Amino acid sequence: MQRRDFLKASLAASAVALGTSASAGVTGQPIDSRKVSKIAFPEKRPLITYSDRPPLLETPRDSFTKAITPNDEFFVRWHMPEIPTHIDPETYTIKINGLVNQELSISLNELKKDFEQVEVTAVLQCGGNSRSAYKPIAGGIQWGSGAMGCAKWKGVRLSDILNRAGLKKGAHWIGFNGSETAAYYETPNFVREMRIDELDDHVIVAYEMNGEDLPYLNGYPVRLVIPGHYSDSWVKMLSNITVTAEYESLFFMDVAYRVPDNDCECETPDNKFKATKPITTMNVKSVIGYPTNDTVVYHNSHVVVRGVAFDDGHGIKDVVISVDGGKTWKTAILDKDAGRYAFRAFRFAFKPTKYGKVSIMAKAINRLGAEQPFAQDIKWNHGGYKYNGIDVVTMEVV
Amino acid sequence: MMKKIVLIAVLSFTSAFAQVEEPVEVPFIPYEIKMGKGFDAIQANCLMCHSFGYIINQGRQSKDFWNKKVLKMVIHFKAPISKEDVEITTDYLFEHYGNGELK
Ligand code: HEC
Repeated sequence: MQRRDFLKASLAASAVALGTSASAGVTGQPIDSRKVSKIAFPEKRPLITYSDRPPLLETPRDSFTKAITPNDEFFVRWHMPEIPTHIDPETYTIKINGLVNQELSISLNELKKDFEQVEVTAVLQCGGNSRSAYKPIAGGIQWGSGAMGCAKWKGVRLSDILNRAGLKKGAHWIGFNGSETAAYYETPNFVREMRIDELDDHVIVAYEMNGEDLPYLNGYPVRLVIPGHYSDSWVKMLSNITVTAEYESLFFMDVAYRVPDNDCECETPDNKFKATKPITTMNVKSVIGYPTNDTVVYHNSHVVVRGVAFDDGHGIKDVVISVDGGKTWKTAILDKDAGRYAFRAFRFAFKPTKYGKVSIMAKAINRLGAEQPFAQDIKWNHGGYKYNGIDVVTMEVV
Repeated sequence: MMKKIVLIAVLSFTSAFAQVEEPVEVPFIPYEIKMGKGFDAIQANCLMCHSFGYIINQGRQSKDFWNKKVLKMVIHFKAPISKEDVEITTDYLFEHYGNGELK
């Protein structure tokens, strides 16, 4: 055997060995067996419930047949146990301070009257959505596929607010504070920072979600909307915007919501990659809303597979479906386009020809040609972020 | 009739009104916490910042996992937990929510 071949062979052998050992980190389908709770949280219908303090609620899979996620089905993720349970819209203000010419304190009325009102339909997805796909377990909530949703947000451009305050020379960073607080005084508060040049005109301070006030648990009365980005910086109950020259070191910036800073954004549990980077923009993903893993149909049924697909704003080009384990793929029909940051609903009609378990796979491809990998080809990372494996549901044909 | 019109006019001038008039109430979920040695330490050290649900969502894990998780609370979130209680809580979690493996 040539040395090169030998190397290849031993690499392949070790890959096989690694693939079977969870200590190397393996990826499968996220957990999909959790049922909604009997307890309904304020303004929500019963959802999959992980925690009451802080509230952590997941949208069940069958909601993802719709391009807009209704407010009462929208997932909820807070970091801190203490969230205001009453806000007076007449007195609430958002403060803008730091390196600005004029400090501002904007009431909700002013926000709605004194600025141009804009709307954007955008996907809100937790960076750790589908985290339960990673083995060994990655730190954080073990979400299934429902830490995401898409809504029509209405509000005011962040840039318009910043222009009114006027940025001083040397302004590079913006810190955003919400109103949630830790239960213990030394626990770091949830503050996010963004580079000013990362913010474009699509970023808005939103007070309306799908034509209604934001639900409390989604950040009433105002939250930041950063289309195309994971939700870690979509600060809820936004109370303060501070412009600074330099980055301030914060736990929720330096440690949380980061992936390995290498090409595959991957590492192994025993050999973590030192350098990390923020998760920022979303990769291409799709989730099947119907059928679900609970669906049972007669063999002569006409089944219409439905789901949603999205990326970071390049837009979805195609969604393809396989009912033979990924050997052959057929193109699904895409619903109308509600904007590049929105869910693109898709549907695909088929008639099962055999009995028993039938698995359906969906793969989205964006306009850049980026497509979802098979779950098992996704490499592990310690925070369990950015899972976007080809979605699989298995129904039963009787 | 007149009254009704006045009411609507007033409403539309109150530009901001909350969808929810009263304070919302976040329900309490009764998590089943296994009794036994170390339970007191969990109650004293782990439930001030989040619910028990947040903890058991991790599923069954190794002793090393639980130890690191408790230490994460101390190091990153400044949880005031004594060395002794770090051990007691780790043992409790491993006994009731462990997978049998040390590492
Ligand atoms: C001082 C506050 C505080 C105390 C006390 C505390 N935690 Fe936490 N815990 C947190 C915070 C903050 C988070 C993460 C919140 C976030 O990321 O949004 C967290 C998250 C967790 C998680 C989720 C997984 C993860 O890695 O984020 C687990 C499990 C957990 N804590 C277990 C414990 C246990 C066990 C104890 C008692 C030994 C404990 N906590 C005590 C603040 C605390």
